Amino acid sequence: MTAARKLINWLGLGLFALLGVAAVVPLFLIIGDIYIKGIDAINRLGGLWHFLTALPPTPFDEKGGIGPMLVGTLYMTALGALLGIAVGFPLGVYIGEMRREKFANVSRAAVNILVEFPTIVVGLFVYAVMSLAKQSLNQYLLDPLSKALSPVGGWITQFIGPLDGFNAYAGAAALAIIMIPYVALITASAYASIEQQLREAAYAIGGREFNALFVVLRKAVSRAVVTAALLGTAKIAGETAPLLFTAFGNTYYAPFTGPTAAVSLWIWYAAQTPYSVQIASAYGAAAVLLTIILIIFIVARIRG
Amino acid sequence: MAKIDVKDLRVFFGASPVITGVNLSIPDRSITALMGPSGSGKSTTLRVLNRLIELYPEARVSGEVYLDGRDIFKMDVLELRRRVQMIFQIPNPIPNLSIFENVALGLKLNRLVRGRRELFERVRSALEKAQLWDEVRNRLDMPAGKLSGGQQQRLCVARALAFEPEVLLADEPTANLDPENTARLEALFLWLKRDVTIVLVTHYPPQAARVSDYVAFLYKGQIVEWGPTRDVFTKPKHELTEKYVTGRLY
Repeated sequence: MTAARKLINWLGLGLFALLGVAAVVPLFLIIGDIYIKGIDAINRLGGLWHFLTALPPTPFDEKGGIGPMLVGTLYMTALGALLGIAVGFPLGVYIGEMRREKFANVSRAAVNILVEFPTIVVGLFVYAVMSLAKQSLNQYLLDPLSKALSPVGGWITQFIGPLDGFNAYAGAAALAIIMIPYVALITASAYASIEQQLREAAYAIGGREFNALFVVLRKAVSRAVVTAALLGTAKIAGETAPLLFTAFGNTYYAPFTGPTAAVSLWIWYAAQTPYSVQIASAYGAAAVLLTIILIIFIVARIRG
Repeated sequence: MAKIDVKDLRVFFGASPVITGVNLSIPDRSITALMGPSGSGKSTTLRVLNRLIELYPEARVSGEVYLDGRDIFKMDVLELRRRVQMIFQIPNPIPNLSIFENVALGLKLNRLVRGRRELFERVRSALEKAQLWDEVRNRLDMPAGKLSGGQQQRLCVARALAFEPEVLLADEPTANLDPENTARLEALFLWLKRDVTIVLVTHYPPQAARVSDYVAFLYKGQIVEWGPTRDVFTKPKHELTEKYVTGRLY
């Protein structure tokens, strides 16, 4: 009897270990494939520094890089993450902490839907808004603004000026819309899990409700919120679909007010061309993107 | 002279009455114990005194409470909570915040200090009063969550004392402490009452007998009996009180 039980136990454990391995293997296969091909490609295309700064290769080039894409991705991800945290965190406090407000239930439901939204729809939505708003926005705000700012120097036109239909700000907005519900939900669940004892202490020492909620209790849940912000940033850094109709992509260093390059867009474009040099650059770009995301992920793990 | 006067206090949670008419006068610079079985409304009474009850939207409060003759419900709640501080049943420092920051945070948020030097002095003096300074002086940057339970509770006392409050509310502060730390905290209260009015909630009559000057016995949301501790414990006027202090009612 005991021998049979031992055998069943052994078989059961073996099965679960096998399932665990099966879950991990694809991850390492993907990472390994991308780094092996990517590092080889980066070396062939002119070394790491050249690859990170140069323009992408045309089909007839030997060398090239992803300079404009890297700049575009970093810029849009940073803006999108800042906006996502700035809106997502207070929203999370609202739906997590002020649960008795009537509207909080509506927002919680909305956020829960938004977090599962197809990201390409978000991009399409921002594109539509951009098309409608562009003309008056340029006419009444951005034209006068860029003229007023012109004494600062020509470099300012790289960032502020009349917008094209496709631009980095539309891309950042789409990324922010993807990040907001993500940050809000994690913030909300962190606040909802605060014990009543700690909440009372916060109000006893914090005084004002704003201080109690956004200073004392934020410090109590800061780890979860920072982790959420970092993981959300890693998530949007690799997004492609929302950028298709918003940033559009570019192959040159160009003002952020016009079509803007992104690493993910370049991978999507270059990998489907028939030219081996561009396919190689897509592998290199994938390795760079994966590195960025893994670094953010590791930082989040260490802090959390 | 009474520090706090409670007149005809009634509290409902939703439709169910929790306190049904409490009248109490708490003398200045003394320890007043509120004792009674679970659910008698001790903690709720305490939470009215600094209006933390307002964190519970389903709670409805009626009656009057005066602090030094001023109606607390008409007072600025920030001023009230500065003057009436509280410590809780479960030690509740912010666990990932440093020992120093736990004491300093309330002072900073309420803008009670000017400059780093004054802040440090206030924090040190609060930790000294709470008899924690000697144990933590070399590790003020350590997260408060790493302290032992007894130390965490004294840290909460320091956090409250940093405000230099006039009243200290204590909601079963020793319920989660071992006998040694309980004795320390009780000794601390006896020493603090020279400067501060203390209201101590306890469900353990011997504790009320040991530390309090006045005691009120609550039962089912009403005060059955209150007066000087010695009188209540030696010559209880009410049969319920006698049963409770002799451990036959719980």
